[in-house]
Amino acid sequence: MFQKHISRHLAAYEDRQLSAPKARRADTHLAGCERCRSELDQFRFAAAMMEHLPVTEAPESIWISVEAAIDRQPERASRFQVRYWRFAAAVVLALMMFGAAAYWYATRSQPHWEVTRLDGLPAVGSKHIQATGRIQPGEWLETDAFSRARIKIGQIGQVEVEPNTRLRLVAARPAEHRLALARGEISASISAPPRLFFVETSSSTAVDLGCAYTMQVDDTGFGLLRVTAGWVSLEWRGRESLVPAGANCHTRPGTGPGTPYFEDAPVRLVKALESFDFESAGSGALDTILAESRVRDTLTLWHLLSRVDAGERPRVYDRIAALAPLPSGVSREKALQLDRGTLKRWKDELAWTW
Amino acid sequence: MVSLSDREVSADIIESCRRGDREAFRALYQAYKDRVYSISLYFFHGDAATASDVTQQVFLKLITSIAQFRGDSGFSTWLYRLVVNTCLDGARQAKSQAESVAHSRHAFPVESKSHEEDFARAQIATSVQAAVSALPPKFRLPILLRYFDELSYEEMAHALNCSMGTVASRLNRGHKILAQKLASLRGFLTPGG
Repeated sequence: MFQKHISRHLAAYEDRQLSAPKARRADTHLAGCERCRSELDQFRFAAAMMEHLPVTEAPESIWISVEAAIDRQPERASRFQVRYWRFAAAVVLALMMFGAAAYWYATRSQPHWEVTRLDGLPAVGSKHIQATGRIQPGEWLETDAFSRARIKIGQIGQVEVEPNTRLRLVAARPAEHRLALARGEISASISAPPRLFFVETSSSTAVDLGCAYTMQVDDTGFGLLRVTAGWVSLEWRGRESLVPAGANCHTRPGTGPGTPYFEDAPVRLVKALESFDFESAGSGALDTILAESRVRDTLTLWHLLSRVDAGERPRVYDRIAALAPLPSGVSREKALQLDRGTLKRWKDELAWTW
Repeated sequence: MVSLSDREVSADIIESCRRGDREAFRALYQAYKDRVYSISLYFFHGDAATASDVTQQVFLKLITSIAQFRGDSGFSTWLYRLVVNTCLDGARQAKSQAESVAHSRHAFPVESKSHEEDFARAQIATSVQAAVSALPPKFRLPILLRYFDELSYEEMAHALNCSMGTVASRLNRGHKILAQKLASLRGFLTPGG
């Protein structure tokens, strides 16, 4: 190692991230190579200039919003210890109220989520929610044209349910929070590790990857996902669309999720994409998509790599390569073979432009 | 108020935050707010309003998800991953709302003009800020993480969701671009900054 120039290793060298033997070899190389010494000097110059970048004080107003959010947090643990005499009294009281306590515990132990009325009279089953209520697995929540509700998704987030929506709670377990949206619109905001929150529709399942999004489903089962933060994976029978913030994805019964596109994508691209995904428009639509794509539309093109016929795949590959430089480790051959590792590496690199 | 002198917070503080302890949150906020705000500010080209918004979002996410912090990685690493993701989300949203980066670039404030030396120092700072702001995001974020919290490559790799080799490569490239953009300031660089 380091028989050649060490330009690529300068940061690691300077930040003492090289192993001792590699660092010694770098020292030896630098002693005899003027070009690398010059590049190291450049690195150190940039590093010295960065010392002039001041830490800027955050405005105090930010804390006011944060503090308000803290006040809305539920207590997660008791704040004080019970003294012995209180404990004894509580035990006696508990014995006296054993029947009621047993009933309460049985009810409490049922998995459920809290529902809050926002407008009108949303209903869980046949029961209208006046202020707050609960929904258990198997139960339906329905809003009419005038009502809205909010569901607290365990400890990981919330879902706002818009008017004319019908949804069912499927699972309320710590490792699986799952809703089924039959029709209407919901806005989900989730702070949790990936793959803990799911929304099923008739044509796909939205899998949370740490995100905020809205999901709409009309009476025919046509759906539209709009992501506002993070990422959502829209999945159906092995077909998967990865949708980042700022992007949308349609979904249709019988076909599953379409190809994601950014909200600001050219109108002609979006129309051609709809024809390609749901009307089998083929290469005519692909021509338009390729011609209209901008750098960040490589989101769409990356998905199309595995969705076009093998004969069309080189055209998609060439268009992506023309829009964004190929990262190291991505070869034409492997990409056209749809090698999973290659596609993932390419997506991770392209995502910086999305 | 709890005071944190160490950049890594204790398990007690985290546990207090999980219980909804306002003072513990305040201590966390005080410890990290300026660094989170500064990273956001320089990521968003000096746009103070967006930086405030992103900083607020980061701490709101922290409040709602701190129960999921398992301590597998350091707290800083976990927090900066929130920062990175929130910055990238914000940038994607801004693009989708057709607020092009070129149009949203803000002038960085020059803080002091009282003395010639201060003025020169402020001018250098402004040039550095502009050079950092012009870096592509994939180089800008590692540079900001390196200088605002001196994270290790392993911590940066976790925050940026990439390998340590990729971190090294991006830092390399980022410094090279910065050196080229700031070459005209070489004469101003004095020992000790």
